[in-house]
Amino acid sequence: MRGRFRPGVFWGSGVMRVSVAVLVIAFVAFALLPQQSQFLFHAFGEPLADFVAIPVKGMATLDRTLREWWMQYIALQGLSQQNRQLRETIQQLNGEVNRLREQAYMAERLASLLEFQEDKSVRTVAARVIGRSASNWYQGVILNKGEDDGVREQMGVITPAGVAGRIVRTSGSTSIALLTTDPNLVIAGMIQRTRDEGMVQGTSQGLVRIKYLPPLSSVKTGDVVVTSGLTGGFPRGVLIGEVVLVEESKDGLFRTVQIVPAVKSRHLDEVLIVVSPRSPEAVPPLDHALIAPGP
Amino acid sequence: MKISAYTLLTLSLFSFQATVLSSFNPFGIQPDFCLVIACLIGFRTGPVHGLIVGFGLGFLQDLFSAGPFGLHTFTKAGVGFLAGVFARNLSNREPHAVFVPVMACSGLSAMVFLLWSRMGMGLGEMLYGFSYILLPQAVLDGLVAIMANWVSVRWWSKRRIHEGRPVMNRREVRQ
Repeated sequence: MRGRFRPGVFWGSGVMRVSVAVLVIAFVAFALLPQQSQFLFHAFGEPLADFVAIPVKGMATLDRTLREWWMQYIALQGLSQQNRQLRETIQQLNGEVNRLREQAYMAERLASLLEFQEDKSVRTVAARVIGRSASNWYQGVILNKGEDDGVREQMGVITPAGVAGRIVRTSGSTSIALLTTDPNLVIAGMIQRTRDEGMVQGTSQGLVRIKYLPPLSSVKTGDVVVTSGLTGGFPRGVLIGEVVLVEESKDGLFRTVQIVPAVKSRHLDEVLIVVSPRSPEAVPPLDHALIAPGP
Repeated sequence: MKISAYTLLTLSLFSFQATVLSSFNPFGIQPDFCLVIACLIGFRTGPVHGLIVGFGLGFLQDLFSAGPFGLHTFTKAGVGFLAGVFARNLSNREPHAVFVPVMACSGLSAMVFLLWSRMGMGLGEMLYGFSYILLPQAVLDGLVAIMANWVSVRWWSKRRIHEGRPVMNRREVRQ
C-alpha cells in the first residue's frame, strides 16, 4: 500500500481536518482582506517582536564578535583593519564629494536669485544592522533601533555613501528597512547634472533604475543620480548611484536608465535613519512662501 | 515538553538564520533553512506537527520580514503540512529521498512569493524571478534538506542505539 496516496488515512484524523480547514480559511481571509489581516498580524506580532529581538540581538552580537575576532587575530589582522578603515574613509569621502557637488550645483542655480536659502542639516539616528530578512523575494535588513528611539515607518535610511533604503516596519526595539535594490521600493530621484526627475526603483537583478525621465533628457552614462527630496523621508541630494545604461521606453514617451547603486547592500553594517529630512526652521514662513502678494 | 522544544527550536533556528546564516548565499541565492526544517519536521512527525512548526517559524520570519505580514506564516505552515502528507506516502526512507518533496514544497512556496511580490511589474521581472530565484532556491533547499536529513537520521539512529531502542520507530516498523 505504501507509495500510493491513501485518502482514508489522510482525512481520517479530526485534528487533520480541523488543521486544514483553519489553514485554508485563514489563507483565504489573508488574501481577501489584506488590510484587516495585516492589522491583526501587527497587533499580535508587535509585542512578540520585542521578545524575539532578544535572541536575535544576542546572536548578532555573538556573530559580530566572532567575525571581528577572526578578522583581527587570525586572518591578516593588520591588513584587514587597515582595509576596513580605508573603505570607511572612501565611503565618507564619496559622500562628502557628492554633497559638495550638489551644493555647487545648487549654488550655481541660486546665485542669480536674491533669496538664497541655506540647506539645513538633517536629523538622523545611527543604527546597526543585526540581521537580514530571510527571503530572496524581499531584500530587507533588521536594524537595532525601533519606535523607542523615534524610528517610524517610511523614514529614509542612508549611509555616508548614499541611500540604503526605507523603514517599512517597526517594533519597540527594532525596525525593518527595505533596501533600494528591492523592486518593491520606489523613491523620488533626479539626474544631478540635468535635474531631470523620475522614480527610482530596484530590479530583481540587484540593480536600480530610474523611470519616467523626459524623452528629451540628455542623461548619459556616468551621470550621478541623487534624491530629489520632493517626497519620502530623504533630504535632497543624497547619492543613489551612477548611470550605466540609458534606454528608450517602447512607446517612446519616457526614458529609463539603469543605475549601479552607491551602497552595496551586502556590506551594510551601520546606517543612519533620517528622522527628519529637513529641520523645521528650514521651511519658509507660510505668508512668504505660499500666499501670493495682493494687488 | 514538546511545546517547549518546538518553541526553543523555532526561536534559535530563526535567530541563527537571520544573523549567522544570512551571509551564506551561494550564487546570490539564500537557502530557506526555516522551510527546510518545517518540511523535515513534517516528514518525521506528521502533517500536524509540520504545520505547527511551520506556522511558528513563518510567523517569526514575518515579524522581521520586509514583505507583507502573513506570507511566511501561511507558506511555511502549508509546506510543513504538505511534507507530512508526502511522508505518509513515501516508500523510500533514504536521506536523499527528501530532495524532490522539499524541492516541490520550496517551489510552491516561492511561487506564492513570486506572484505576491512581482505581480504588476511586468513579464520580464516575473520570468527573471522564476528562472533566477525560484528554481535555484528550490534546488538549493532540496540539497540543504538532504544534508540536514542525513545528519538528523544519523543522530536519530545513534541516539536510539545508545538508548538500547530499535532504530526504527513503531510507525516505521508497522509500515
